[in-house]
Amino acid sequence: MPQVIRKYCHVTHRSATVNGKAFPVAEVDGEGKFLTALYRSLKIDYPKFFKMDSLSKLGFLASELILRDEEPRFAPREDVAILCFNRSASLATDALYQVTIRRGDGCYPSPSLFVYTLPNIVTGEIAIRNKFFGETSFYVCKEWDVQQALRMAGQILCDGRTRAVLAAWVECFEEACEAFMMLVDTENQPGIPPEEIAFSTSKKTTWKN
Amino acid sequence: MAKEIFVTGYGIASALGAGKEATLSALRERRTGIAPMRYLKTAHAEFPVGEVKMSNGEMMRALRIPEAAVATRTSLMGTIAVREALEHARIRGQSGLRVALISGVTVGGMDKTELYYLDFLENDTKNAYIAAHDCGACTEMIADYFGIFSAVQTISTACSSAANAIMRGAMLLSSGRADVAVAGGCECITKFHLNGFNTLMILDRKPCRPFDAHRAGLNLGEGAAYLVLEAEDTLRGRGAEPLCRLSGAANTCDAYHQTASSPNGEGAYLSMAKALEDARLTPKDVGYINAHGTGTENNDLSEGRAIQRVFGDSVPPVSSTKPFTGHTTSAAGGVEAVIALLALQHSFIPVNLNFEQPMPELAFTPAVTERPPVPLRHVLSNSFGFGGNDTSLIFSTL
Amino acid sequence: MEELILQLKQEIIRVLNLEDVTPAGIADSAPLFGEGLGLDSIDALELIVLMEKRYGIKLKDPAQGREIFTSIRVMAEYIHANRTK
Repeated sequence: MPQVIRKYCHVTHRSATVNGKAFPVAEVDGEGKFLTALYRSLKIDYPKFFKMDSLSKLGFLASELILRDEEPRFAPREDVAILCFNRSASLATDALYQVTIRRGDGCYPSPSLFVYTLPNIVTGEIAIRNKFFGETSFYVCKEWDVQQALRMAGQILCDGRTRAVLAAWVECFEEACEAFMMLVDTENQPGIPPEEIAFSTSKKTTWKN
Repeated sequence: MAKEIFVTGYGIASALGAGKEATLSALRERRTGIAPMRYLKTAHAEFPVGEVKMSNGEMMRALRIPEAAVATRTSLMGTIAVREALEHARIRGQSGLRVALISGVTVGGMDKTELYYLDFLENDTKNAYIAAHDCGACTEMIADYFGIFSAVQTISTACSSAANAIMRGAMLLSSGRADVAVAGGCECITKFHLNGFNTLMILDRKPCRPFDAHRAGLNLGEGAAYLVLEAEDTLRGRGAEPLCRLSGAANTCDAYHQTASSPNGEGAYLSMAKALEDARLTPKDVGYINAHGTGTENNDLSEGRAIQRVFGDSVPPVSSTKPFTGHTTSAAGGVEAVIALLALQHSFIPVNLNFEQPMPELAFTPAVTERPPVPLRHVLSNSFGFGGNDTSLIFSTL
Repeated sequence: MEELILQLKQEIIRVLNLEDVTPAGIADSAPLFGEGLGLDSIDALELIVLMEKRYGIKLKDPAQGREIFTSIRVMAEYIHANRTK
């Protein structure tokens, strides 16, 4: 059976959609507060959300949008994999952390910031929340390619251990803050056609000239 | 493994030296590569480290890269190791094969960014290094040196990156997307993660002591190591000699904490158990475990318990080789895969240096003698990363 | 001491991003780790940074932190006795 997309979502710093339909977000409290407003609108109680960096917040919220109606929720699963891609790895947090290690007195490197200078922490955050013990991986590449992500999800689904894959583009650097996430399996044929979510990612980040 | 995957070559650069011969002799002669800091310029010079004993200039000369070229320390070490791996496997020039490069890296070009950050902001003299900063660029620089790769992938899962690259390489071969996979990882020490590990308070000021009751943290290391992997049809087609097999691999998530390992090592237990399942082996088949064994209080206890859960009363010889190389972070899965392969091919146990006092929580102690009780046929290598990312690889004789 | 306790609560809420917690919501003697605020090992390291940055107290060993960070009151008493700024 080929791998198919069962569900997908798209989150930016100003909108969220699930399977192409807008997810209502109430009371956005000022510039840069959309993700917090989305968290509130999801009506979940997970204080650790506020400790995450933007990349993890983004990936976490995308996974909540996809998984919130799944039953049973929070039952430990060894057969769910998480596969993430992006362009800038953890660059936004790297820059914040770099500021804390500059030479001189009054320099106090932050352990909690350092933790988020690893891009794959977002896969860990999703796994911790959902008790997913399956494969987790993070690839750095130039752009989001739905077909490639689907193909790689399909390869993981052939490992004899995995039954579903959360595959996502999660990019967060300067103006580019965007997540596409899809739930991929082989059991819900024919699934959603990939063309429907073949968005192109935002323009290149300014960092790279 | 869905398909039989063979190792036909490997290359390594670490604190033990550049090349497999230097690595093998250091391991057998119990010569550590950990030493006072020499190449990294930092205020934290009190920490012993496992540096590759070559300057960037020396590496560039060894690779015949022009002095003025843009290169990062990580990409240079990676290029040295890939070159050795390709030579070992006798893969040259335009072979007509689809050769993929899969590289694990996390800190990327941070070494140059640390040097030139102010130049980036104030003038245009070092702008060429901006594009060299990110992880993807590091893999591209390695690939560009050889010009033979049909596909390039960068994986970034912290300290299990290289092991995951190797697993991903096998997957590319199984699915028929590549004929040859060159897979591993590279990482140089930077102020960035030296400071980071220091704030996590897990750096030992003395040589690290994995699986010792008095262990007090890790020593950072750097390096690069890559394996050349092929399926049987490619091997036959080009008449290459296989060295051994990658017989099993698994990646699992500990799903416990961003950085801490779970008390009973759930993720580590699952990765070892599933890798054995993948290799269709039972625990008693494994002759040697190259542990992740960082020397931190948390990792060694969690991993030790996981090993006991998998292997019960008959734990095979276990050692951490990080007292030789330091913790080479993103490269560790590659460096330790090469060490596991050397152990397998020469049938010896790389000893766990600096061990004195057994951990009261564990029933086993790490290996301190070289001679395996029986000739090695299957060896297991663990690599764990923050994010709860746990990978186990199993290598087997032909 | 009461003033230090309040100040400490505000600092902790800020550095640990305890978004929905108010100083009044933290009992002076409630445990900070496990139960109570549910802090973890990274929070403990962040508190060690806070101790040095704000109060000039340098802790060398995370185990030392575990004894001091049992409750806000214990922490405030330790700061009161050892602060250098």
